[in-house]
Amino acid sequence: MHDINEEGDEMISRIVAELKTLPPVPADATARVLARVDAARRSEGTSRFGRRFSISLPAAIGYAVAATLAGFLIRGAVPRHPSEPTPRGIASAPVGETLGIRTPIVPAAANTRALEEAPVKVQFVLEAPRAKSVTVVGDFNAWDGSRTPLDRDSTTGVWSALVDVHPGRHVYAFLVDGKTWTLDPNAPRTKDLDYGTTQSVLMVGMR
Amino acid sequence: MRVDRLVRCMRWPLAVSVCIAARAASGQVPQGLDSATAAAIAPIVEQARNEKLPIAPLYAKAREGEVQHVPVSKIAAVVRTLADRMRTANEALAPGASEQELHAAADAIKSGVGPETLRAMREAGGDGSLAVPIGVLTQLIARGVPVERASMEVVTLLRKGAVAKNFIALEETVRQDVLAGRRPDESLDLRLKGIIPNLPQSATDAAGLNASSPRRPR
Repeated sequence: MHDINEEGDEMISRIVAELKTLPPVPADATARVLARVDAARRSEGTSRFGRRFSISLPAAIGYAVAATLAGFLIRGAVPRHPSEPTPRGIASAPVGETLGIRTPIVPAAANTRALEEAPVKVQFVLEAPRAKSVTVVGDFNAWDGSRTPLDRDSTTGVWSALVDVHPGRHVYAFLVDGKTWTLDPNAPRTKDLDYGTTQSVLMVGMR
Repeated sequence: MRVDRLVRCMRWPLAVSVCIAARAASGQVPQGLDSATAAAIAPIVEQARNEKLPIAPLYAKAREGEVQHVPVSKIAAVVRTLADRMRTANEALAPGASEQELHAAADAIKSGVGPETLRAMREAGGDGSLAVPIGVLTQLIARGVPVERASMEVVTLLRKGAVAKNFIALEETVRQDVLAGRRPDESLDLRLKGIIPNLPQSATDAAGLNASSPRRPR
């Protein structure tokens, strides 16, 4: 019968002998390996962005100044959307100073008005069974037909849309097939003194 | 380095925002207007912007003309007139008129309402929005009620504490009366008799109390 212990001892003896013959590890080996890993990471960054991105502190401050400037330019140059119920007068409101932070004092009246002027849903309806498209244009959507297309009920041929409209008096018309100026048969009419056309009138109350 | 990382994350958003700002600052804000129209009204819009007037109604008025195929020169003239009306309205409704109030007031001025009426409305209306009362005033005039008469009655209603729903009800009942064949000023007389006694200030007056500066309830 073969003796397992005897065979194992022989194997271990051979391994120990082989390990004793390995060359000694240089003292700077660890440092060199880390340097190679770092170099590999750098080369990966170069392939994605062309060069490794680095920036000095002054350049970072420059970016921050550019961003602030951009913010001011956008606020000053881009008009607010007409549907925004932002009350005017806030920007020019008096400014209070608390712990060094300049805070605009918003008049209570502006808040009250903004609440009262919140838009309400209004349904526009036009019976036009043979129309291919119907849009509503008016002062509530800046006369932009593309903003407010009406949907057709396939069984009745009636076109309708729900639109957010601020309380007050508004004038409007339907554009049938993109070109035909059509008044609302169910609404009062008025003659516009600016362009001389006849328009439908809508009175919207508060919610 | 932490700054390095922060800037690396922020550089594309920064670049985009700078581009948008530069585009906006150069006046190329897209408004869906024809380039000739946009160029014709640009100085008017710029002046209004400098005066802190809302410019969206000016663009909307220009677009209204475009939709109706009005010549560019006429559109520019109408937009200039609207800017003048808004300037007048802004002064009359100061301080802090809302965009909706200015829109309504500019329409009222177009119908012949004077700035003194708008000032009286602001004084009588307290903190509430005047968009609906001014709109109803304009519509009463459009129905045929004389300007002075309509102006006086609307200011009286505000002083007595009328709110938006009262004005809307007045306009609707006058509309129905006119459709039924009644004269607009007769209808106004009739319908005011139904509204005024139910207003808050009328009740105060009836009780013999004197409120020198009536304010609309919230």
